Amino acid sequence: MVSDFFYPNFGGVENHIYLLSQCLIKLGHKVVVLTHAYGNRSGVRYMTGGLKVYYVPWKPFLMQNTLPTFYGTLPIIRTILIREQISLVHGHQAFSTLCHEALMHARTMGYKVVFTDHSLYGFADVGSIHMNKDCHQKRLVYRKGADLLVEVIPEVCRMYPNVRFIVGGDGPKRVRLEEMREKHSLQDRVEMLGAVPHAQVRSVLISGHIFLNSSLTEAFCIAILEAASCGLLTVSTRVGGVPEVLPDDMIVLAEPDPTDMVQAIKKAISILPMIDPQDMHNRMKKLYDWHDVAKRTEIVYDRALKCSNQSLLERLSRYLACGAWAGKLFCLVMIIDFLLWRLLQLWKPAEDIEVVPDIVLSHDEDRGISQDFQAFNKDHSLR
Amino acid sequence: MVESCISNKIYSYKHECKWPNSEAADVHNIIVRKSRSKGFLVFFSALLILANVILLFLIKDKSIAVVFWSFIWDVLIVKLLLRKPVEKESVVVMPALGVQLETHYVSGKIIRRFVPIDKILKPVLLECVTPVTCYWSLSLIIQEEAELMLVFKELRPPVKMLVPIWKALCAATGSEGSLNTFTDDGPCC
Repeated sequence: MVSDFFYPNFGGVENHIYLLSQCLIKLGHKVVVLTHAYGNRSGVRYMTGGLKVYYVPWKPFLMQNTLPTFYGTLPIIRTILIREQISLVHGHQAFSTLCHEALMHARTMGYKVVFTDHSLYGFADVGSIHMNKDCHQKRLVYRKGADLLVEVIPEVCRMYPNVRFIVGGDGPKRVRLEEMREKHSLQDRVEMLGAVPHAQVRSVLISGHIFLNSSLTEAFCIAILEAASCGLLTVSTRVGGVPEVLPDDMIVLAEPDPTDMVQAIKKAISILPMIDPQDMHNRMKKLYDWHDVAKRTEIVYDRALKCSNQSLLERLSRYLACGAWAGKLFCLVMIIDFLLWRLLQLWKPAEDIEVVPDIVLSHDEDRGISQDFQAFNKDHSLR
Repeated sequence: MVESCISNKIYSYKHECKWPNSEAADVHNIIVRKSRSKGFLVFFSALLILANVILLFLIKDKSIAVVFWSFIWDVLIVKLLLRKPVEKESVVVMPALGVQLETHYVSGKIIRRFVPIDKILKPVLLECVTPVTCYWSLSLIIQEEAELMLVFKELRPPVKMLVPIWKALCAATGSEGSLNTFTDDGPCC
């Protein structure tokens, strides 16, 4: 798995990579994650289940992205792919430069690749580019529509005297919400919790009845899934992939406009008595499951592995078709990549790169993992 | 008495047992093998550059200073690229006393570092990641020291040569050979 976004960063992409990797390990695959170094966290680390993470010491230059050098990451990626005996490279997130470079080098070296886009790009929509900004989960930032909340909350508090709001999370827009609270004297009606650790999110959610999501852009929105699992009725803006996440009876959708949102909240409050939280939870349990996601991803991997090997000329002819000038530029970039790869093969042949022995989990998995050098030694002990 | 020997293109590993009837000392050597092709390549390219400059001087009437500086530059490049000061690095394991780490240079200089046995907490095999490559290294965790002590300071032998040395160090220091080499870093969810 390659991405600029991984632990210790928190977010949708990071969680996706981690949980998918864990489920794939349980299905018997070997998973290695490649990301850039975060501060002091550089080198090899191991996570639960023997998930190996390479924190490559390339400094991020903008919003957690490594500096795009086109060919700079070729040596380290080649070394890692050979030493870990990788068969398929899975890149995550359109914003990640490391991901794109890794996929390019992997294709040059003949590996099969899979790409998951976690943004709203879709490759056809240019307009959404302006809206996509890098954020943390439950963050009070422009993309998450904190400005919408500032309009909606006072109106709802005025209409319904017994409605209280609990706001969890932190970010640049928190100040605006605080100001709104002061302005309308809603200190006893609006509770600001600040940043909520992930382990405590559930206990915060179950104290409520309706979950309000005011995002202006959202590819998927795991937050509303979490809310539905806790038995909350969701009110959300009709943006991106949100309408496809929950069944129609668990969500009330609205346009990203204060008036429409207030109407939606009104509707939600009226249908609230008919909601059974336990029933909602049971339904959600069956709808979404990371093991199911892993199995579906495995099917995609199998299809990718079955694709035929393409020679350099075949690939270049595909790039040429991208455009009059763009096609030629892409071809040039790929030819240089190919030549650099050949040069690397002469400088440091693949036989000189040692294969890493496989991790063997000890019986006490809580205490750590052991590396079975006994088996390794038998193959390579004497010449 | 040579007990075992492993070699590859760059290094060769020799395990010797001094005074085989007692367990006084165990010597593990990593010796750098001389490479002829690299030397030939460097000399040839230096010669090519010099010939080029001399030709320029003779045909295009460039000043002799250019030839002179180019010659100096060539000598510096050759010295830099062919500089192989390290002949071998050794680890002498004395079970009751400690571990002596030696670096033998081609010039005859020997640098020795001794670590008493009770100061060694654990020998560890780690993977080091640089911006361009990834390699194994053998280090010692020393009591009351924040930094790890590298067993091989100058050389980067392959892991198949490091494993027997690591096992010997584990046996001498009494640490368990294969458990708890890595710690668990999980997210807080």
